[in-house]
Amino acid sequence: MSVAAGGGESKIDKTKLTMYGLGGGILGIYLAHVLNMITGTGYFSFLAGLGAIAAIVMGADAVRRVCAYGIGTGVPSIGMMAMGMGLVAAWFGLAVAGIAGPIIGIAIAMGFGYFVGMLANKIIKMNIPVMEEVLMSLGGAGAVVIIALSVVVSGQIGYEDMLNDVVLTGFIAVVFIAGALAILQPFNANLGPDETQDRTLVHAVSTGGLAMFAAGIGSLITVGVGGAVLTMLIAAAIWLKAFLWYFKLVKRDSAGVVGTGLLAEGGL
Amino acid sequence: MSTFDASTLIYIIQIVIGGLLVGIGVHFVPVGGAPAAMAQATGVGTGTVQLATGSGLTGLISAGLMMSVTDNILLIVLSGAVGAMIMMDVTMIVGNWVYIYGVGVPPVAAKVDYDPITKDPQPPYIGPGTVGHGVPTVSYVSGTIGGLMGGAGGSLIYYALMNINGVSGLSAFFAIGIFVVNAVIASYNIQGTIEGFHDPKFKRIPRAVQACFIATLIIGIFAVLIHGGA
Repeated sequence: MSVAAGGGESKIDKTKLTMYGLGGGILGIYLAHVLNMITGTGYFSFLAGLGAIAAIVMGADAVRRVCAYGIGTGVPSIGMMAMGMGLVAAWFGLAVAGIAGPIIGIAIAMGFGYFVGMLANKIIKMNIPVMEEVLMSLGGAGAVVIIALSVVVSGQIGYEDMLNDVVLTGFIAVVFIAGALAILQPFNANLGPDETQDRTLVHAVSTGGLAMFAAGIGSLITVGVGGAVLTMLIAAAIWLKAFLWYFKLVKRDSAGVVGTGLLAEGGL
Repeated sequence: MSTFDASTLIYIIQIVIGGLLVGIGVHFVPVGGAPAAMAQATGVGTGTVQLATGSGLTGLISAGLMMSVTDNILLIVLSGAVGAMIMMDVTMIVGNWVYIYGVGVPPVAAKVDYDPITKDPQPPYIGPGTVGHGVPTVSYVSGTIGGLMGGAGGSLIYYALMNINGVSGLSAFFAIGIFVVNAVIASYNIQGTIEGFHDPKFKRIPRAVQACFIATLIIGIFAVLIHGGA
């Protein structure tokens, strides 16, 4: 298949990104849970948000790898599918496995991803060589993002509390859609023949910051004002830093940025 | 963990049927993707997933409303189907207004010479350099059928999950999760665009049925094991 949607070469290896994404995600989730429990506060929820950003970067890289093949359905579809698989797997893990829930959920999500990728290649005959591996990464990223953002909202991992804080309050909708957008938007916005990996991934950090901010707003009524404000401040700082960095990369990659002024009268 | 008994098996079957309905329903929906957004291809100018999710969510809302007053599966599924049909029809008719009055193109199908429903000739109205534009009658009818199947499928999944965990938020989002997986698999099958049931790509349905069946079965087995708290 030809490279339809562009996508430049990768400077950062996918294995490294997957490792950091999954490792950072799981670390963030557990650190937030444990530190919140030890201190009895909600101040450490932001760590789960940082984990979510790591997974979002990993997911955005997986999206750019598969979409470079031209999947024909638009970039958003694959991001939504990642979240769909991740959601069911993540909550399954949380419901049945207690404290080991996140790891079980992420493993199952990656299994779903591999499986759906296989179906896409074998039955639908998409013949995209990276499909299985990419959907595996995406399923894993989706599950980490769902769990991590849910932990930001609820402050800990216990299933009953998460059910009350995330699902019954309706914040699961925010978690789902903000997480999906954070994963799919970076490549969707940067695709084209001049796409560069660092620009896409820096953009992923900024969208991750926004997702974390949204989850932080949700945690205002669940973990309390202190923890929520801390999460939101850190998220805003990450977003600002990443967005300025992204803007710098946009200027680096563009042929030229010139101010043309307004069109003259009758210029159209 | 929920116990695994005969009723769980029935719920899994309901979820699989729901997933299949979603997967098949996507093939009926006239999606044109980016070319249609520029009025250069027949269909609504957006992706399958956006259209399917939009109508599916509306279906879930109407199914959830019905479920708050009755347990009758038929009424719930029908309510979901009608909700999704309305959403799909509204999307298509507003899209058509934009195409007709805004862009200034007649709705026309490019994959057939005569509209199978109105018998109107199509080729004279196809703009040069395009593969149709707008949502012609046959695509509109097809899209309505697609909305029906998608909405019915989504609400069937919702109904099954709701009976297991009893938490509407959880059931709704699992239904959406299973819904998008099937919608995306189906849209890979049509490579992102289709005009409706008259499109030659429609004949690829068996492949999507197989893939959606297996995918929904696997995800469904996990979904029914999630309980709704104590």
